[in-house]
Amino acid sequence: MIAEYGQLALTFALALSVLLAIVPFYGSFSGNQRALLQAKPLAIGLFIFCLLAKLALVHAFLTSDFTVINVATNSSSILPWYYKITASFGSHEGSMLLWILMLSGWTALVAIFSKGLPLLMQGRILGVLGLINIGFIAFSLFMSNPFARSLPFYPVEGMDLNPLLQDFGMIIHPPLLYMGYVGFAVSFAFAIAALIGGKFDSTWARWARPWTLAAWLFLTLGIMFGSWWAYHELGWGGWWFWDPVENASFLPWLVGTALLHSLAVTEKRGTFKSWTVLLALGAFSLSLVGAFLVRSGVLVSVHSFAADPDRGIFLLIFLLLVIGGSLALYASRMNSVRSQARYQLFSREVMLWGNNVFLLTATLVVFLGTLFPLFHKELGLGTISIGEPFFNQMFYYLTIPFALLLGLGPWVRWKQQPVKPLLGPFSLIALASLTLALGTLAAMQSIQANLALLGLLLGAWVGLSALYELYQRLSQFGSVSKGAFKLHASHYGMTIAHIGFAVLVVGVAMTKTYSVERDVRMQINDSISLAGYQFTLLEVYPLQGANFGGEAAEIAVHNSKGQLISQLHAEKRFYQIQRTVMTESAVHARLSRDLYVSLGEALPDNAWALRLYVKPFVRWIWLGGLLMALGALVALLDKRYRRGSSRLTAANKSEAINA
Amino acid sequence: MRKLMFYVPLVLFLTLALFLLSGLFSNPMERESVTTNKPLPAFSLPDLMQPAQRWQPEQLRGETFLLNVWGTWCPTCNAELSYMTELKQQGVKIIGLYYVLPVDPLLGESFDLTMLQADVSNKLQQRGNPYQFNILDADRSLSLDLGVSGAPETFIVDSNGIVREHHIGDINPQVWRNKLAPLYQKWRQQDGSQ
Repeated sequence: MIAEYGQLALTFALALSVLLAIVPFYGSFSGNQRALLQAKPLAIGLFIFCLLAKLALVHAFLTSDFTVINVATNSSSILPWYYKITASFGSHEGSMLLWILMLSGWTALVAIFSKGLPLLMQGRILGVLGLINIGFIAFSLFMSNPFARSLPFYPVEGMDLNPLLQDFGMIIHPPLLYMGYVGFAVSFAFAIAALIGGKFDSTWARWARPWTLAAWLFLTLGIMFGSWWAYHELGWGGWWFWDPVENASFLPWLVGTALLHSLAVTEKRGTFKSWTVLLALGAFSLSLVGAFLVRSGVLVSVHSFAADPDRGIFLLIFLLLVIGGSLALYASRMNSVRSQARYQLFSREVMLWGNNVFLLTATLVVFLGTLFPLFHKELGLGTISIGEPFFNQMFYYLTIPFALLLGLGPWVRWKQQPVKPLLGPFSLIALASLTLALGTLAAMQSIQANLALLGLLLGAWVGLSALYELYQRLSQFGSVSKGAFKLHASHYGMTIAHIGFAVLVVGVAMTKTYSVERDVRMQINDSISLAGYQFTLLEVYPLQGANFGGEAAEIAVHNSKGQLISQLHAEKRFYQIQRTVMTESAVHARLSRDLYVSLGEALPDNAWALRLYVKPFVRWIWLGGLLMALGALVALLDKRYRRGSSRLTAANKSEAINA
Repeated sequence: MRKLMFYVPLVLFLTLALFLLSGLFSNPMERESVTTNKPLPAFSLPDLMQPAQRWQPEQLRGETFLLNVWGTWCPTCNAELSYMTELKQQGVKIIGLYYVLPVDPLLGESFDLTMLQADVSNKLQQRGNPYQFNILDADRSLSLDLGVSGAPETFIVDSNGIVREHHIGDINPQVWRNKLAPLYQKWRQQDGSQ
């Protein structure tokens, strides 16, 4: 019965989203205040009913109600309760409901936290979000109902959750990722509202900034957790595969990053106006295109949900309405907009323009790399595939100028920057970067011109420049300690995020250069040394879990001096219901390196195949991502985002004086 | 001119949408075979059961047949044995190409023909034997030349030794009825006319 209530709740949610799409728009065009005021309660009601639907589905999973098809195909009675909750969004149907919950959640948040916005703007934004809600709720109800029953013939036991998804990383990865994807719907709605209103002053950009930051924060975390999960769950030590679905999450991230920077220009300088609007439309449009690619079966990917052309058609029509409609609106409204501001060649405007150029080139590279096989085939040119080497090479070439520019950017002032005052600090930073990079390699006893040296140089350049710039900025308040409390949170946020990028670059370059791996055959008490570490297989014993059996191995690791570093516990699990084998690799993580062991097949003569890795600096990759997310969080705490619009202008003025 | 610039994103998106639409109706798993409509690559490989007997493409001419790439290590291949045995009883000529898994001497593995033969006859006794005979592709060279990406895969080869179809995946009643049988019949009918 609960499942039917869930479906009922979702139906109510559909009705509310239709009202939300109609009533405030009616108010905005007729000037009816009462209609505009309905937007907020409608948005909150919409969220409540989506939440009820989601809870009903979770209930069905927790009680193992196998009459619900979705539960029967994705769960089992012996699945631990926390994975039952994961299973509720592990399938296409369930994840769609999660998506809807997030979307309605963002809609409700906008309704609650938009007191400072003019009523008209508020109504339009919520109206646009209502329209988007309609599309997804209707898709869920009519094309992929998570509550569908298989009565009267239902299975007594479920087919269990895909073992790959039975992992802590999978509990948090999809919700974070979806929060990010869907969060860009808010930036999108702000942009559309601005397009409808026809006013592109800096106010819309100021309102849109915190929401874009929040969405970007979630998307960054989601991508990081996905990468970390793949690393320790797939058993082959990779952390990014340029898989179409990963790319589908990376595309909105790249455009979202460009949007964050472009919004700053539009807000502070009133220029880049049409460009910023286009980016806001683009970030969410790419989220939608990504959702389409994953769910329509157009591309081959390890992540894809089962393909169904009907769903694909529905989503494509939705895409045409939302993206096509918004771009048509953009084209018809934008030709009247002109930017007034003037700026010199060497100015922050141009620096941020450069940032956008590189980020969008990267977007284009990923987009074409992902979709080129499809274009190629549909043009009748035959099948091809584009793999890692293409992406790696392109990103290699893009990262170098991007990082150089990133080191420079924060130092450069709006409008115009004289070159001379920067020469001193930058020769210092360049010298320090060179010393730091060579010093690190010297400590590793491996000085050579390789990718690691380049990565260290670029990382040091970006990181040191960010730190020095922060110091410089703080000193302007008189002394660093005085300035520490006066500087805006968003400036700290920027510095942290830029250091995060530096850390990421160092991590990628070092891991790519110095990782070593070996596939070995080991018997009990065999020892193998790899990169100065001694791996000894101590014992292998049978494993008994709730819904899996298998084998576990204990491996002792000693360093070159013979001291015990750690005892690693690697598992090879056999999930009984799905009849699949999964590796649970064992990782000993330190900032400087990971020791990584995965257990392979049993071999004749009581031996086992094992795969050993030593991966220097691999933690830095995720640390960098976490720092970027932390930067966004700190920036969000900036008081200026929460003040009324009148005082915000005053704050801008005082900042202009400080700068 | 400046006005038209703002229509560029819309035009680009609509073009993309066209591609996505046509992509919906084609199967991304489909790969065109590099070997279709070309003669079988040259080879000289031993028979699995009587290694003294060697097979060359010329010996396989004269009648349309199915060349089935398989191995006892492949569960799907084992599953299709019984249906293919039914096909054999209906008069379809099937020749096996036995795909030997790579062995890793580092792991103490070695290639043992006697064990393999025992394994294969055991499996064929259990599940049915659809094959006229099996060609042993010990170093996987013929499979490589044929563009085999995994087992099971099946080729339709006509009486002139030309590969006419490359089917990836198993053969089951549905696949046979809808896809392979019409092709097989078509080439079979031309056997006599040449």
